[in-house]
Amino acid sequence: MNRKGAIIAGLLALALGLTACGSSNTPAGGAAGAGPIKLAFVQGVIGDAFYVTMQCGIQEEAAKLGATVTTNGPQKFDPSLQTPVLQSVIASAPSAILIAPTDVSAMQQPVQQAIQQNIKVVLVDTTLKDPSIAASAIASDNLGGGKAAFDAIHQLAPQGGKVLVVSVQPGISTTDDRAKGFQDAVKANPAYQDLGVQYSNNDPQKAAQIVNAALQANPDIVGIFATNLFSAEGSATGIRQAGKQGVVKVVGFDAGPDQIKALQAGTVQALVAQQPALIGRDGVQQAVAALKGQPVTKSIGTGFTVLTQANLNTPEGQAAVYKSSC
Amino acid sequence: MTSIAAKENDDTELLADDQPQGRLARLARLQALQIVLVLALIIVVFAVLRPTTFLTPFNIRGIVVNTSILAVLGVGMTFVIITGGIDLSIGSVLVFSGVIADKTMLLMGGKGWGTAIVGIVVACLCGLGWGLINGVLIARARVPPLIVTLGTLGMALGFSQIITGGIDLRDAPDVLVNSVGFGNIVGQIPTLSVIALLVVVLGGIVLHRTRFGLYTFAVGSNAEAGRRVGVRVDRHLIKVYALAGLVAGFAGILNLAFFQSTTISGQSNTNLNVIAGVVIGGTSLFGGVGSIFGTVIGLFIPSVLQNGFVILGVQSFWQQVVVGAVLIGAVFVDQARRAAALRGSSLQFPFLSRFGSGSRKVNR
Repeated sequence: MNRKGAIIAGLLALALGLTACGSSNTPAGGAAGAGPIKLAFVQGVIGDAFYVTMQCGIQEEAAKLGATVTTNGPQKFDPSLQTPVLQSVIASAPSAILIAPTDVSAMQQPVQQAIQQNIKVVLVDTTLKDPSIAASAIASDNLGGGKAAFDAIHQLAPQGGKVLVVSVQPGISTTDDRAKGFQDAVKANPAYQDLGVQYSNNDPQKAAQIVNAALQANPDIVGIFATNLFSAEGSATGIRQAGKQGVVKVVGFDAGPDQIKALQAGTVQALVAQQPALIGRDGVQQAVAALKGQPVTKSIGTGFTVLTQANLNTPEGQAAVYKSSC
Repeated sequence: MTSIAAKENDDTELLADDQPQGRLARLARLQALQIVLVLALIIVVFAVLRPTTFLTPFNIRGIVVNTSILAVLGVGMTFVIITGGIDLSIGSVLVFSGVIADKTMLLMGGKGWGTAIVGIVVACLCGLGWGLINGVLIARARVPPLIVTLGTLGMALGFSQIITGGIDLRDAPDVLVNSVGFGNIVGQIPTLSVIALLVVVLGGIVLHRTRFGLYTFAVGSNAEAGRRVGVRVDRHLIKVYALAGLVAGFAGILNLAFFQSTTISGQSNTNLNVIAGVVIGGTSLFGGVGSIFGTVIGLFIPSVLQNGFVILGVQSFWQQVVVGAVLIGAVFVDQARRAAALRGSSLQFPFLSRFGSGSRKVNR
C-alpha cells in the first residue's frame, strides 16, 4: 500500500495546496443580503483582452461599492464550455452574476437556473434570446460602432469615394450590426459609394484576396472597414499587394494588444475601440441597484472611441486601449 | 504472458465462471475502490472548505448533468482503448451527427416526437458511419488508429463546417430540449443523466459480461493470441470502432438537446478530456485492461475539480494543471503494474500483484 498511499497523499496535498491559495483570494461571504455583496463575473472566454478590461472595470466599481467579485470563464467562446462554469458559479451562491453569454439560445436555460436560485443576472456585452429575464443588459451599440468607423474613414479620406466592408461571416449579430451601421452611414453621405460587404471567414488570406480583387475592379477605393482583427490584417496585405498602401485607408475594430500593434505599425490607420471597462462598471451598478431594490435600466448601449496614431499616446487614447491585466 | 494464460482460462471458464470467486471479487472491488477513493477525497476537501455551497442538491445535479454526455462518449472510448487503440474523432463525430440530425429535423419541419426520433436515429447512423470508416481503415487498411482518427477528426469537423458555413445550428425540436435536455424523470433527477446511466450500464454489461467484451479484452491483451484461439480480430476491431462512433452519434443528439446548438467550436478538446477520464479510471493505454465503472469515476474527477475550483474562486486554469497531474499519476500506476507483471515479481510487490490479479478478474 506504500506506493499507492504516497500517490494519493501527493494528489491530496496538491489539491489542498491549491484550495489553500484559492481560499485566500475569496473572502468567505455570507448569504445574499448579509455581509458584503458577492458578485460573480462569467466571461465569454478567459484570457481575452476585451474581457480582461471588462473585469478591471467590474473590480474597480465593485471595490467602490463595497462588493467582492470572483471572475471565471470557459477556455473557449462556446456554450458547451461556459455552461459548467456558470453552473458552478451558481452553486457558489453569489448575490448577482454578470455574464457574457456565449450563445443567444443555448445559454438561456442555464441563466434561467441562476434566476430560479434568486440570483440577479446582468448581461454584459452579449445577450440572450429573451434578455427580459435579466435585471439589465449592457452592450456596445454595434450599429453606432459601424457609424464611428465611417466617421473615421471620413476623417482619413475626406474627399469621398468608394468604400468596402470586410466582415467575418454572415450570421454573427455583432459584426452584422457593425457592417449595417457603417453602410447606413455611407448611404447618408453622397460623397461616398458603398461597395457592399465581403466575408473573410476570419481568414487573413481570404481577406487579402478579396481586397486585392476589389482593388482590381475598383482602383479608386478610398477606405475599407474591417470588422475584426484578421479581416483588418488581411485587408492591409491585399492593399500592399495592389501597391496602394497609404492610399487606401483601413479602419479596424477593437483595441486589444494585436490591434494596437497593427495601428502602431501603420497596417491599419484607425481603430474603433469599444468600452469594455465602462460596460463592466455599468454592469456592477445595475446589479447592485437590482439587489437593493432600486430602479434599474433594462438596456444600456455604450459608446466608442476612435483611435489613430495621432491620439494613441494621449491619456484619452491610452484609456481606450484594452488591458491584458488589471 | 500471464494474460495469455488467463485468456485461455477465461475461454474455457466463460460460461462456468459466472459466480465470482470470493478472493478475486474482493480484489476487483479493491481496484475500483482506489479510483473512488481519490474522487471521494477530492469531494471531502471541497465539502469541508465550502460546506454550505458544494454539496447542495443543485450543485450535485449540475456536476452530474455536466458529466453525462462525456460519460456516454467514455463508454465507446473505453472499448477502443482496451483494444489498445485510440479514437480522437469522437468530438468531431458528435458535432457532425448533431449537424446532420439538426438539418434533417429542420427539413421535416415538425416539432413533435416523430421528428425527434428521426433526429435521434439519424444522429446514431452518422456516428455509426464514421465509426465504420475508422474501423475499416484501422483493421483492414492497417493505418494506425492515431492517424485514422486524427484524419476523421478533421474530416467530420470540416464537413460540419462546410454544411453549416461554420455557424451553429439551433433547430432541436422543443420536445427533445424540454424532455431530454432539461427534463427530469422524477423530482430533480435529470433525464439526460438517466439516459447516460442506461448507456453506461449497458456498456458495462457488454464489456464485462458478454463474449463481445471478452474478445475486446483479448484483442487488446494480445491480438495474435486472440487470432490463434479463433477471435476474428479484424472484424472485432471494426465493431469496436463502430460502437465508439455509434455512441458519439448518440452523444451528438444529447448535446443538441442540451445546448440547443451544435457547439461546433466547443468540442475541440472533448476527445482528450474523454481519453483522460478513461485513463484516470484505470483503463490501460496499452490495451487489455479497463472497466466502464472506472471510466465514469475518471470522468467525474475533472468535473468535480472544475466545479470545486470555480466555487472556491480558484483560477480555472488550475483545473487543467491538477487533472494533468492526476492523469500522469494514473498512467504511472498502470506502468508500474505492467513492469511488475512482466518481471513476474509478484511476491516482492504484493500490492502490485494483487492489483494485477484484480484487473485480470475484470478481463473476463
